[in-house]
Parts: sequence; C-alpha cells; structure tokens
Amino acid sequence: MQSGYYSPRARAVEVRRIDETTSACLSPIGEVAFLSNEDLKRFRAEPAALSPETVRDLKSRHMLKSAGDTPGADRLFASRLAAKRSTASAGPELHIIVPTLQCAHSCQYCQVSRALDAKGYSLTHAQVLAACDQIMRSGAKVLTVEFQGGDPLNRFDLVELAIEALAHHPERKGRPIRFVVASTLHQLTEDMCRYFAQYDVKLSTSVDGPNWLHNRNRPVPTRDSYERTVSGIKLAKALLGAESVSALMTTTRLSLQHPEAIVDEYVALGLNEIFLRPLSHYGFAKRNLQMLGYTTEQFVEFYRSALKRVFWWNERGIPVREVYASIILNKLVSSFDAGYVDLQSPNASGKAVLVYNYDGYIYPSDEARMLAESGDKSFRMGRIDAPMEELMASPAAERIRKSGGVESDADCSACSFKHYCAPSPVDAAAGGAGVVATRDTEHCRRTTALFDQMLHLLAMARASNPSLNSLLQRWAAPAGAGA
Amino acid sequence: MREVRLSHVSPVSGIFRVQASSRGVATLIAASGLDSEIRLAELLAVPGGVEPAGLEIGDVVKLNAGQSRAVVRYRASDRHQTLFVTNQCNSRCLMCSQPPTPQEDGWLFNEATDIVNLVMHPPVVVGISGGEPTLHPARLRALLDLLHSAWPDTKVEVLTNGRRLAEEAVTATLLQGLAPGRTNWLVPLYAGNDELHDFVVQSPGAFDETLAGLLNLQEFGQAVQLRTVMVRPVITELAQWASFVGRNLPFVQAVALMATEPVGFALANKEMTVIDVPEYGNELKAAVDELLGYGLRPVLMNMPLCKLPETLRPLAAVSISDWKNDYAAECHGCELRPGCAGFFVWDNTKIYRTGLRPVLKVEREGSHV
Repeated sequence: MQSGYYSPRARAVEVRRIDETTSACLSPIGEVAFLSNEDLKRFRAEPAALSPETVRDLKSRHMLKSAGDTPGADRLFASRLAAKRSTASAGPELHIIVPTLQCAHSCQYCQVSRALDAKGYSLTHAQVLAACDQIMRSGAKVLTVEFQGGDPLNRFDLVELAIEALAHHPERKGRPIRFVVASTLHQLTEDMCRYFAQYDVKLSTSVDGPNWLHNRNRPVPTRDSYERTVSGIKLAKALLGAESVSALMTTTRLSLQHPEAIVDEYVALGLNEIFLRPLSHYGFAKRNLQMLGYTTEQFVEFYRSALKRVFWWNERGIPVREVYASIILNKLVSSFDAGYVDLQSPNASGKAVLVYNYDGYIYPSDEARMLAESGDKSFRMGRIDAPMEELMASPAAERIRKSGGVESDADCSACSFKHYCAPSPVDAAAGGAGVVATRDTEHCRRTTALFDQMLHLLAMARASNPSLNSLLQRWAAPAGAGA
Repeated sequence: MREVRLSHVSPVSGIFRVQASSRGVATLIAASGLDSEIRLAELLAVPGGVEPAGLEIGDVVKLNAGQSRAVVRYRASDRHQTLFVTNQCNSRCLMCSQPPTPQEDGWLFNEATDIVNLVMHPPVVVGISGGEPTLHPARLRALLDLLHSAWPDTKVEVLTNGRRLAEEAVTATLLQGLAPGRTNWLVPLYAGNDELHDFVVQSPGAFDETLAGLLNLQEFGQAVQLRTVMVRPVITELAQWASFVGRNLPFVQAVALMATEPVGFALANKEMTVIDVPEYGNELKAAVDELLGYGLRPVLMNMPLCKLPETLRPLAAVSISDWKNDYAAECHGCELRPGCAGFFVWDNTKIYRTGLRPVLKVEREGSHV
C-alpha cells in the first residue's frame, strides 16, 4: 500500500449557491453536501486542506475518493449512477390511455375535456385492443397503465376492455402491471369498485381544497362536484382500502390565498398524500390564463406556505406526504430514480412514457396530446397500431432526441440541475418556437425555484432539525420503497 | 467452547458422535463408519459413579489422545451452532474476539466436515466462523456444498470480512453455481469511508475490498447481513455509517449493530472498544431510525434489554451462543429475561454487568393495584 493512498481527490459534482455563505454540491448519484465558501474553494483546489471530518463525510458521499486504486468504490459509484439513470432504459414503463375526452365538468382551466354527449371523442374497441398490443411490446419489466380523460369512468366499458386485454395478454409474461384510473369519481359505483379490486386498480382523483374552492374551480350543473368526489373517495376507501385512492390539486389564482385550508382539507379527508400542482399552461388553460393565472413567484410563495402546513401536520403525527417535494428530493438525495417522467435528463417523452390518445394516435407525453388540442399536431408519433420501430423513428421522436438533451441548450448545459431535468421540446413548441429562452419558460423558473427551495430545506434540516431531515429522506425514497 | 471432563485420558484423537450412554459408559462412533464404533466403546469406558461425563446422546465431540477432556463441537439442543474453520485472518480488528494465528490449520475444515457427517439432527441455522473462512475458498466451497446437500433445510451463515470476495478467482470458486437464498453472508462494515473502516480493521485497503466483495455477493444473488460493532470510533461516525449503508447497500437483508465481546484484542484496547450500551443510546437510536427510513431491518446484538431505550427493545436479538451465555444475579425474576441476550459468561470487565435495571413482575403487578 503506497503512502498517500487515502489522500482525497474530487469526483465531478455540480455546485449551486444557496446563500452568501453556503453552496450545495450535487452528485448525479443522488447525494448532496453543503459547503462553506472556504471549504468549496478547498474542495476544488486542494481537498487535503479540508478538515479530516469533512473529508470523511465527502468520501461517504462519493464526492471525494482516495488517491490510491479503489476498484470497489469506483464500481459502487458506477452502479449507483446506473441505478439513478435506469428510468427509460428498458422501454416505456408508463402508458397513458385516454379512452375518452367526455367529462361532466366544465372546468375553466381544463385543457381538453368535452361534454358527455359529444361524439367522436372516444377510442373504438379495435383501437383500445391495438393500444394494449402496443403496450405489451414495451421491454419494461414493470408496467404502469394509467387511464386519463376526460373522465375515463364515463367509458368504463373501454377501461374494462383494456384491463382484461392487458391482464390476459400472451406477451405479458408475468410482468406486474400497476393500473391507475384518473377520475373525478363521480361515476364510481360499487360494481366498478368490485371489478377494480380484482386487479388492484388504484384511483387518482382531484381535490382542489374545501368544498367552496373546489366547486368554484370545478363547476358541474348541479354545483356539487366536491360532494360527489368526496363520496367517491369514501366509497373507494371502504371497498378498495385506504391506500387505493390518492388525490392531487390544481392551483388557481383563487387557491393562492388559502394554502392552509387546502392542506387541512386533505388531512380532514384522511388522504396521506397531497400533490400541490401549478396550472398547466397548455391547451384550453392557456386561453383562460389571463383570468386564472399567476406568476411563478406567486406559485412558489403559495407552495412554501402549503408545504409548511404539511410539515406542521407531520410534526403532530399526521403523516401527509407532499408529492412535488418528494419528486424533487428523490432527484437530489435518493439512490433510486422514482421515474417521474417530467423530470428526466435527457427528456424522457416518448421513451419512458407513451400516450394512446382518443384520436387514434400515439403521443410522447400528456403535454403533447394537449398541444395537439390547440392545433399543433406535430408531436404525433404515429397511429396506435403502428410498429414500435416506426414510432421510435418518427419525426416527433427524432425531434425529442435531438433537442431533449441538456447539450442542445446552452443554459441547460450550464445548469446545476442538468442531471435531473432537460429541455422539453414539447414545452418549447407550446411557447412559440424560438421566442422564449428555456431559462425563461415557466417550467424552468418553477423547477429551479423548487430545487432551490428543497436545497434550503435540506441544509436547514441537516443543521438543526433531525426529525425534518429524516422526513425529507423518507419522502425522497421512490413511493412504495422504504418505510 | 463447551468442555466435558473425562475420568480417563482418551486413547484416540478425532471427531466422534455419542451413540449411547449408560452406567457411565459412552459409546462413540467415528465419522469413518460403524467399524470404529465397537473399538471406541471398548476403549472409552468411564467408571461408574462419575456422571456420564456430562455428555448427551447425539453430541459430536472432539477427543485428543492423552487428554482427559472432550470438547463438545455440536449439541442438538443448543440455540446457536457454529463450525469453526480457521484461525487465520487477513484483518486485525481492534476488538477481535478471536485473535488470529498464522499457522496452517486446514485440519479445522476436515473436522467441520466430520462434524457435519456425524450430526443426526441438523440445526435450523449453522454459522461458519473463523478467523476468515474465505482464506480457503475451495475448502469453504466444499463445506458449503456438503452442508447444502446433507442439511437441505438448514440456513447456513458465513461470517466473513468479504475482502477476498473482491477477487474474481475467489468469487468464481465460492459463488459460481451456489444456490441463492441458502447461504447468508454476515459481513462487517464499520464506516462509510475507507479511512475509519481501515483503522478499525487495521488493514489498509480493506474497505474497498469489502465493498467489492459485497457487490459480488449481490451480483450472485446471495443474502447479506451487514454488521458493525460498537467501538468508540464507530460510534462517533455511526450516523454517517447508517446513511452510507442505506444509500449504497440497500440490497442487504439485515443490519446488525453489536456490542463488543469483551475478550481477545478487545481487552487490550478496552478503553476504545468495550463501552456500555447506555453511553451510546442516542447514537444507536438515530442510526436505527435512519436504517428504518431506508427500509432496512436493524438487529441489535449482545445488548441487555434493560440498557436499551424501550423503543429499541423489539429489535434486540438473543444473540449470545449458549455455551458462552449467562445472566447476572439481578436478572433473576426479570420479566424481560426470556428475550434478553444477557452476558458473555467469561466477561470479567464488569462494564456490561453494572447498572442493571431488571423489570420485576412483582413491581409491575403492584403498580396495577
């Protein structure tokens, strides 16, 4: 063993300044360390000048390594890098089927939905079966099949057809399939629940807040959207179990003033997850942006207050998990990628996810099908029954490959978060080609702000709040893993 | 190890099974077969009046010619069964309970083989221990194969520092074709960085080799229990260790945190290595929470229950082998005793045996009145 074996050498990290005195070092394997300005200088120029404790801490995070041969540590590092990048490597895991656009609601911010009596907004039986064949061609070992709309329960017959075709498909080869139905749950019946129980189908619904807020955001002619969604939640919990239903909220301008009331509503409904989501800027929502919209700063302000309330409940023994924070923390401090398709580098549209739209075409992402509703159909990858190779070789897929990597954008290449996030060609098209620089898009400003927010929280929690730190660590684990 | 005094010196050396015992005469059978039985029964007559030497039928014993003692190498009624296969080691841990010797001791593997062939009632679990068993990869593999075929329902545990499993040739010999799920590898890792781990095991480069060994075990689908021992330097960086394990080695089946056995090198480095449990209660609790947060299963070993915070007690194991296990006088009547590890019988440091707080049934019942 030569002398100097343990002498520290730096591995590549990204650096993000979080305040005047502290910077975060980010390793692509899912490690974060916080360094003072002086230590950051030492880390870059002469790691041996760091204190022995800091050296050992950074070694344990793979940011420093010993100068001697360390094949074991190097292999561990490589395997963690591979684990972190495993999403989209084996073929699409997430498959979104949009059986129909029909919906009883007329939400102001909704992108796409059509009235219940609208004709021509649903898949045919043949198209549903073709979508199932296509899904089974994916090489992914675990499949998630999500039904969106419209409200898919308006065409329960199509949902049932797809589940039966997939569950008993000859190409399934024992692979687990996780089924999710995204619905208002207004149409949910006991019979449907009994059917869902057979295939362990999970339900995902929307709750925007207390009834007055929810009903303002989500109008139905009978003005009882909240009440009916809540009865749907209760029915599902009773027949399918408490873990069978989750909810997410959409932030409107009206929501901004009520972060606590919104979080409290989730606690009152006994939901252990809340997903605080901003308005989508796509499709119909864009036209109403004047009336419903707000700035990224306003959203982040709202988000911070709501998240604070979520922590407040956790301190009191109510285990509510905020999904957006979990997604960001998963990127920063987890060894495994949770596979959230909207934050991948390079962009995973069309690779980790495929959308089988009611119009008979396959799109690379939910946003792409919404963009199509506003007239830009350039992201169609092909017809639902087209061969997989043809879809992957389509101009749409090619465009995402070409401009969905960080190297295609100067701002993205220079960004500290480039291992977690990449340019979205669909976003760029929605913004009007070439008009908005990536860093000025709503997506970039919001995502960067949330990454910064989580880094601040982590720094604070590590320094002075161990119970918050362990909460953040648990949130970072991919859902379903860990305790 | 458990020793039994004999009234006469033994005329033979070797490994034998006690076949029968009556009126102070034990009938023994050798591994080589029935022929030896008669001869040994004649030779080993223990006169009446003496206990049948404290032997039990089915015991597998070791005799040394010219010595009047039998070492019990296997007793069916024991809770823990161990096959000791070598006293050689490539590490020199600060707290080693079994200080290594450099001499060639391949006969220990032969003895282990004899023991396995003689045992009539295979145990639920058997441990292979040393020294460092992987210093002899071919012999170890032969023993594993024998165990898996002779004792098909027995869980086999190998206590190893994993360093040699970093080598491709060793991995090929030991792991190629070894059925997954049958062997549990118990591998100590003392820190989340090479400097501290290598200091604890007094071997430069050991951390890196153990990491590679662990990755090879994972690659071959082998089950791993990670271990650490509560010596002072380990306790200081226990939080970092726990988070390193959670983030880097999520494939391990369990993680054992053990109080030091106060014997061997541990006594020579007592200040640094033998520390009473309450002294590190907070660090222990934080590490356990961290491991649980990563979905790992912590197991606490060699720690008397009354010295552990109540929330950690369900994680404690009755971990001390029968032949080296006892309880203190205060433990009499303690209702935690059946699930308590107790003490090492030869522990004369008194460090673990002071400050006991037995939970007496009487007190509990009284409090309800």
